[in-house]
Amino acid sequence: MKPAPFDYVRASTVDEAVAALAASNGEAKVLAGGQSLVPMLNFRIVDTPIFVDINGIQGLDRIEETTDGGLRIGALARHFALETSDLVKDRFPVLHEAMKHVAHLAIRNRGTIGGSLSHADPAAELPTMAVLLDAKIITARASGGREIAAADFFVAPLTTTLEPDEIIVAVELPGLAPGTGWGFEEFAQRRGDFAVAGVSAIVSMDGQSVTESRIALMGLHDTPVRAHAAEAALLDDGIDAAAAAARLDAEPMNDLHGSADYRRHLAEVLTRRVLTAAMERAAR
Amino acid sequence: MTAKISITVSVNGENHAAEVEPRLLLADFLRENLDLTGTHVGCEHGICGACTVLMNGDSVRSCLTFAVQADGTKIETVESLGDIDALGPLQEAFREKHALQCGFCTPGMLMTATDMLRKYRLETDDDIRDGLSGNICRCTGYQNIVAAVRSAADKRDAK
Amino acid sequence: MSPPDGIDLTRPQFVGAKVLRREDPRLLAGQGNYVADIKRHGMLHIAFRRSDHAHALIKSLDVSEARALEGVVAVYTGADIARLANPYQATSRMKNYQATFIPPLALDKVRYVGEAVVAIVANSRYVAEDALARVDIDYEALRVLVDPEDALKPDAPKLHDDLGSNILAAREFSRGEVDEAFAAAAQTAGGRFHFTRTTPVTIEARASVAEYDKGARTLTLHCTTQIPGIVRDKLSEIFDLPGPRIRVIAPDVGGGFGGKTSLYSEEIVACAIARDLGKPVKWVSDRMEDLMTTGNAFDEIVDAEIAVDAEGKILAVKADVIGDVGAYSIYPWTATIEPVQVVSFLPGPYRIDNYAARVRAVATNKTLTGAYRGVGRPISVFVMDRLLDMAARKIGMDPAEIRRRNLVNDDEFPYKAASGLVWDKSAFQACLRQAADGIGYDDLRREQETARAEGRWVGIGVACYAELTGVGSRIAVAPGMPINTGTETCNVAIDSTGAVTASFGLASQGQGMETTLHEKILRVAGHLFEAAVEDIETGDGKVWVKGTDTSMTIRDLARALYSDMGRVPKEMRDEIDNLEATKVYDPFFGTTTSASHMCLIEIDPETYKVEIKRYIVVEDCGRVINPLIADGQAHGGVAQGIGVALMEEVVHDETGQILTASLVDYVVPSAVEIPSIDVVHVEAELPNTVGGFRGLGEGGTIGAPACIANAISDALSPLGIEIMEIPATPERLFRLIEAAGAR
Repeated sequence: MKPAPFDYVRASTVDEAVAALAASNGEAKVLAGGQSLVPMLNFRIVDTPIFVDINGIQGLDRIEETTDGGLRIGALARHFALETSDLVKDRFPVLHEAMKHVAHLAIRNRGTIGGSLSHADPAAELPTMAVLLDAKIITARASGGREIAAADFFVAPLTTTLEPDEIIVAVELPGLAPGTGWGFEEFAQRRGDFAVAGVSAIVSMDGQSVTESRIALMGLHDTPVRAHAAEAALLDDGIDAAAAAARLDAEPMNDLHGSADYRRHLAEVLTRRVLTAAMERAAR
Repeated sequence: MTAKISITVSVNGENHAAEVEPRLLLADFLRENLDLTGTHVGCEHGICGACTVLMNGDSVRSCLTFAVQADGTKIETVESLGDIDALGPLQEAFREKHALQCGFCTPGMLMTATDMLRKYRLETDDDIRDGLSGNICRCTGYQNIVAAVRSAADKRDAK
Repeated sequence: MSPPDGIDLTRPQFVGAKVLRREDPRLLAGQGNYVADIKRHGMLHIAFRRSDHAHALIKSLDVSEARALEGVVAVYTGADIARLANPYQATSRMKNYQATFIPPLALDKVRYVGEAVVAIVANSRYVAEDALARVDIDYEALRVLVDPEDALKPDAPKLHDDLGSNILAAREFSRGEVDEAFAAAAQTAGGRFHFTRTTPVTIEARASVAEYDKGARTLTLHCTTQIPGIVRDKLSEIFDLPGPRIRVIAPDVGGGFGGKTSLYSEEIVACAIARDLGKPVKWVSDRMEDLMTTGNAFDEIVDAEIAVDAEGKILAVKADVIGDVGAYSIYPWTATIEPVQVVSFLPGPYRIDNYAARVRAVATNKTLTGAYRGVGRPISVFVMDRLLDMAARKIGMDPAEIRRRNLVNDDEFPYKAASGLVWDKSAFQACLRQAADGIGYDDLRREQETARAEGRWVGIGVACYAELTGVGSRIAVAPGMPINTGTETCNVAIDSTGAVTASFGLASQGQGMETTLHEKILRVAGHLFEAAVEDIETGDGKVWVKGTDTSMTIRDLARALYSDMGRVPKEMRDEIDNLEATKVYDPFFGTTTSASHMCLIEIDPETYKVEIKRYIVVEDCGRVINPLIADGQAHGGVAQGIGVALMEEVVHDETGQILTASLVDYVVPSAVEIPSIDVVHVEAELPNTVGGFRGLGEGGTIGAPACIANAISDALSPLGIEIMEIPATPERLFRLIEAAGAR
């Protein structure tokens, strides 16, 4: 399982990277952590003639506070850095929890947030976190970068709205209100595997009632999705109704690791658990 | 034919200069170009962990890293942990606890455990199992490997 | 001549001691020597183009573009290999057995996805793989047989045109009057059991390095094999090379579990190419190839029923087994090895007067099945012990109790099991008792009641098994097969430097050659010291005259015998020859090893994930030689059994495409999924084998799937669910629970 031949260039700045991509007429791909990409190369599932290695770009891995209480995370921030960041733990405990489920230490040492979002596996933690937390994905391109809302970014399994010559440079997570509760549950056959199904949520409460919630589904659709029916049901009828509604928000696939029916079942079970935990945390 | 790339890599403290194809996996660079066959190849898709080495102190899958990406980095392989006649403390712990049978997953286990012991408290044996979950062993059932890492963690904490 | 007082040759100083392993330092230091590590000057690399059709005719094959790629040295097809290697098949004297020829590279037909069709030889593995896509093969698809029951039907295409059917083997066993027993039974239980396909997944995949010395005309194969002798013997026939001109070397091997106990096509191809090109060649399997082509196992469908009386006594058992053995009959064990063991071991350690079983080994368009840890016995125990639990539930009896009533007692040995196997003696009842004590069985049952009241799904599993180990020439491992598996040859020699070398076919110990060697040493020492042989003592590498300072080292003695001419008279040297002794030991029947497994599991009542909370193995393996090793084997075996019980399954789609060709899809347990396992050794009444030793190693895999399946059934018994199929994945449990809810 050796990869097919490819040409290789290193970019030491973002400008160099996007220039190299633009010059390649859509043939070149970005190489960051490579943890999702290289297995596909070794299986010869993808055949890319040129790689632009961006690991050498300085300053693209910072985790910085923003003025609204959120964070701006550089695209090259490694999973391990997010896992161990006090800022992340403090401001987005749901993300801190999710990072513990990302593969294994050796993968977390190399994998990057930019890479994970670009790879867009619907069963992966970071794309789901981006959707849950209303992330803004900031890109660069020779012809000018842009900001893409996470809700618009993922279009199909392993497919995003990124142009071939566009790279992610940062991810901005808007700050959460104080007292926001959170929950995260992932079901996998083994520790560190891609999720068979996962649900995450953040809720705001006023006394006993939920004023706002966001519920995101992982591995339950073509892309990470917000469970809007569940969110509405939570406000109107409470946790059990929301959990039942999550079945409708899910459109899971059948594969070796679980049938669509079983995944829908998990959608309900995990939604109930996650909302219970989130509301408990919000009440503290 | 793709252009070869010049790289300089420090491996176990020694600098090596080479001209390599971009697609050459780090695992193959170590095993073929440098004759360091202690790092083993088990799956070439990042699951089994047998190929784990340290890059700038961090455990990484050498089957998912290209040699060209190791340019300018410090690589440590199992050969850096000790010699046959002078095993390192982690290797001694493995030996005492019978934490290996066929030995094929062992180098990867050792490098992962080395990184785990530096990065995590490992308060419980469940923490150790969690940390080892990315390294597959088919011989031992893991029990003695957990005991060996526990023994090494206890020694670490006693210091 | 008896050994000196104080030396017990059946309890040498290391038996029973936790001796650390000598090979560990080099393995830990990364200085192991595995086949993939071997380099030779001028070595070339092989990659195989493999079939992506499960059943098809090869209409045309064009390798010209592949050959033209820079770095490719040669390309071989089935026709090329057929000119270089004699055809071979796995034979057996078993009645109703049909052998199949196994072409190392496919000739006119492919019969499973992954079958090797073309070998590319290049200056690197990378280049060899580049050339694979340049091979042009035109296939004409044939009807694919994935379900063995389809392969049995009269309209099924024949996988092998020269055979009468797809049934490669068939056997029947019977004792007593089964139909009458069922008619008289208070209760019966049973159904269709399905143990699904597994693959060994050694972390080191298979590999070969073949070299041919043109001058000496010798072939050397370095191979990840557990059977170097058998491979050597067969290669001798395949290449018309006499034994002394072939050497098969297994260096450090990274796991085998039976998956490396077969002769593989790639090994033959590598040898053929090395000889043809006169260059060393290497082939290292990648993981995808391994998952597609290494011998599979455990693919058995068993329709079985048990009849019991009101007191839980087994009246009869019947079973009809279909073994899915894949596309060819594997060498050397044949397609019979696993299916036949399923029925011959099914009665287990239980007293059964009436037994009827039939087995058919059926060829399908899948990877060959071969030997994997436990062979047929994991299935035998799964079926028998599930039947016992199902019967126990029907009559309201505790599962441990129904076993107590049916396990053969100590005073019944030797006991002839219902299939004709003889259990010489083993601690069946003691193992069960100690397992129950060890896990605190009665307390667990009480805790289970409390947990159930809280809505928790807690289950306790029990499984008991017996197997024959050290089987000798009387009972070949695969009956009728021309291979003597149980006989061991040991040679111990002291050379002119005084160093002792002991060689074995496989590791074993024997008493005979030590005594012979000892006698020789005493005689030589007697002469050199001018003392009576009765006055000579030996120990710690020295010989001396009792009660005196007169002594010499074995090294000195060896030099005196071999090198310092004149010190030992010619007559004595002619009689003694060398300080060497060889003994061949045939255990003949072998002996019975047995164990009881018990476990405690809890199932998440919403996600259906199974967690194993406690696990105990109580094993009677006779006198334990090294407890570290014995326990390690139990841990590893149980871990593989857990994998089989909960997550491992080779899956094909209806076109025969293998869906589990990566470790993402074929799921093996990690450290999180395996609990701590308690292992207890019962050194009970020892067998009549040398040293009182029994075999061990496969027991963990033999008992664990049954134990866990029983525990899950126990946990789900309030829902009326019985586990009939494994792995018991969350998906399977979901389906069973949904169906139960709908009832």
